[in-house]
Amino acid sequence: MTWLSDAALDRLRLAAESPDLSATRYRLVDRIGRGGMGVVFLAEDQILGRRVALKVVDVPDESGDLAARLVREARILAQLEHPGIVPVHDAGSLPDGRVFYAMKFVEGRSLREHAASLDSTTDRLRIFQKLCDAVSFAHSRGILHRDLKPENVMIGPFGEVLVLDWGVAKLLRPLAGDSASEVDSSAGAVPARPGTRDGAVVGTVGYMSPEQSRGESAALDARTDVFSLGMILKFLLGEPARVSAPVAAVCAKATSLDPAFRYASVSNLAADVARFLDGLPLEAYPDTLFRRAGRFVRRNQVVVWLVVAYLFARIILILFSRP
Amino acid sequence: MRQALTLQRLSPLRQEWIRCTLPFRSGVVHSEKDAARLRQYSVDGSPNSEASRGGFPLTRWSAILAARSGDSSERSRALDTLLAAYWKPIYKYIRLRWSKSPEDAQDLTQDFFFRLLDKDWLGSFDPRRARLRTFLRACADNLVSNHHRAGQRQKRGGGSPPLSLDFAAADGELSRLQPSAPPEMDEFFDREWARSVFTVGVERLRAELTARGKSVCFQVFERYDLQDALPDAPDRRPSYQDLARDLRISPTDVTNFLAAARRDFRRIVLDFIREMTSSDEEFRREARALLGADPPGSAEAHE
Amino acid sequence: MNKILLGIILGTVLGIFDGATAWFTPAVRNEILGIMIGSTIKGLIAGALIGVFARLVNSLALGIIFGLGVGLLLAFGVAYMQHGYYFEIMLPGGLVGTIVGFCTQKFGARPSPTAARA
Repeated sequence: MTWLSDAALDRLRLAAESPDLSATRYRLVDRIGRGGMGVVFLAEDQILGRRVALKVVDVPDESGDLAARLVREARILAQLEHPGIVPVHDAGSLPDGRVFYAMKFVEGRSLREHAASLDSTTDRLRIFQKLCDAVSFAHSRGILHRDLKPENVMIGPFGEVLVLDWGVAKLLRPLAGDSASEVDSSAGAVPARPGTRDGAVVGTVGYMSPEQSRGESAALDARTDVFSLGMILKFLLGEPARVSAPVAAVCAKATSLDPAFRYASVSNLAADVARFLDGLPLEAYPDTLFRRAGRFVRRNQVVVWLVVAYLFARIILILFSRP
Repeated sequence: MRQALTLQRLSPLRQEWIRCTLPFRSGVVHSEKDAARLRQYSVDGSPNSEASRGGFPLTRWSAILAARSGDSSERSRALDTLLAAYWKPIYKYIRLRWSKSPEDAQDLTQDFFFRLLDKDWLGSFDPRRARLRTFLRACADNLVSNHHRAGQRQKRGGGSPPLSLDFAAADGELSRLQPSAPPEMDEFFDREWARSVFTVGVERLRAELTARGKSVCFQVFERYDLQDALPDAPDRRPSYQDLARDLRISPTDVTNFLAAARRDFRRIVLDFIREMTSSDEEFRREARALLGADPPGSAEAHE
Repeated sequence: MNKILLGIILGTVLGIFDGATAWFTPAVRNEILGIMIGSTIKGLIAGALIGVFARLVNSLALGIIFGLGVGLLLAFGVAYMQHGYYFEIMLPGGLVGTIVGFCTQKFGARPSPTAARA
């Protein structure tokens, strides 16, 4: 029998995993990484002369569920045209039967890697605001991400923030044209199937909401993504309490175990972060007279010292006034 | 024949064992008459009649389930499959992990697969709780430590010549291991398992393409994906031009043949994995383990 | 709020407050009403002057100095009329002028460009 060296094993592994693009417009360039249900490859679109990322189902499944989920992910991405969401270009099936979709290739780093290079709290919060914009847009289209985490957020070379991996997204309402189950593609057509059954646990440990971890798929709403975003905010800030009490309150409200106590929407969360950056009162950190006065004093220290000096002078003069 | 006389002195199960190890021997010939006779015996030595057959229908053929079937041909086929994927990893593992001599490791490996069927170890395997190779490793550890405690050398039927798998080849492969320090056992066993699976895949691909009159296609695959370097240039891997020149075909043909062979290789390997698993979920998990790592920390949908 | 109006309001309020502190000096408690009226008018005039200056000159440092100067000057006038208590009157007066000068420069709204062109 043939002896297979370790190097040969690695080559065979890659050869078995690599997609057969012979009947498509794409040329394989490199393997990028592995996602939840598929492998992502860098390819070149030979007609348009641009690089794309191809996400391909990694293993065949007799039930067809994996293929259906991948196509569903592509259709969800196709509905979400936003600067913060990776656009999808194409979808179909390969000569070897595997389903794929092609999306914009994003050069950059994940938020997990990029965070270490961020110097100021303001920079981190600005990135977080952009992330909230993208997720909020998706919610307005009736789509929950359900797997938000630093690894699924990409920071581009010009500071653009992109949300990736919508593979486990939940639809709060049917997609546009959902009655049409076939996808028109360059290489083949595949069917769509329904989403997660109640009881299934979907998401990533450490970032998924408590109701997600209990498998309450039917009860999920925008607040589940709010929870995940709150965990991302905690990751970005390190120890929020060390940054300031108001931002710690924002994190705490976003990651409240009971959805009723969280921000009702991602836009509310984003608005509170904006208010924090502007030094305004927050929804999560109610203004008492004392806190308002404290904020006024911090923002107007010169005037406050002048007034204190005046009062001090007055008191001294009153105490030591000549008869 | 000396071998045939030896067979008749052994229990029916042992005889069946010999039959199953036929593909893995080097240079040993058995008569078809012996093989046919062996197939008539079930695990308990009784004739393998319809009445005694305790087998169950298999809607999805799985070696794990077939190994426990009352049908001896099913068990034989199951053992073939399990041996193909696991005998070398088990042998190498026993050699390295337990620092056994080649002779002791051979005995233990033989005993391992014998007991796998005889003691129905697979009956306690639950794919939802562990991977098959983790389970088999644990069984091997138990077997070796039990032998340690008993202080015995495994003995076979008195006076009979040793049964052999191609242990010489396995020893040769062990000697090619690069690191001098003992490797991490989990990773080592997984890698040897992958090596066995891919080896089976390559041999089946060779047989299939040759039968279809596409031996050139296999040669392209073999030279490009299996060989580490060119024979006359050890520091260089073959290019498409090299293959086209050597095989007297066009570079386009090289591209097409390679793509086709890889497509078939993938199908063959996945089919082989499927034979070793008992559910779609287990198959996907094992296939992913073979072809690449799962992302850490992610909770997969259990649908 | 424009700078002149801010100066007038601040000057007036601080003038009232400054005059009211005379209540803590028993010797002049009987004249508290007159003191407060005088202090209010002083504050209003000072605030107006400082506000006009802030509208014409956009400089925090100069605004503070001008406010201090106006406050001291008007306080000097009051102390001169009292024939004494120069320190007791001018020190608080100077501080009030400084406060108004700072606030009109920092918080007063600048005139809009169209208004300036007009």
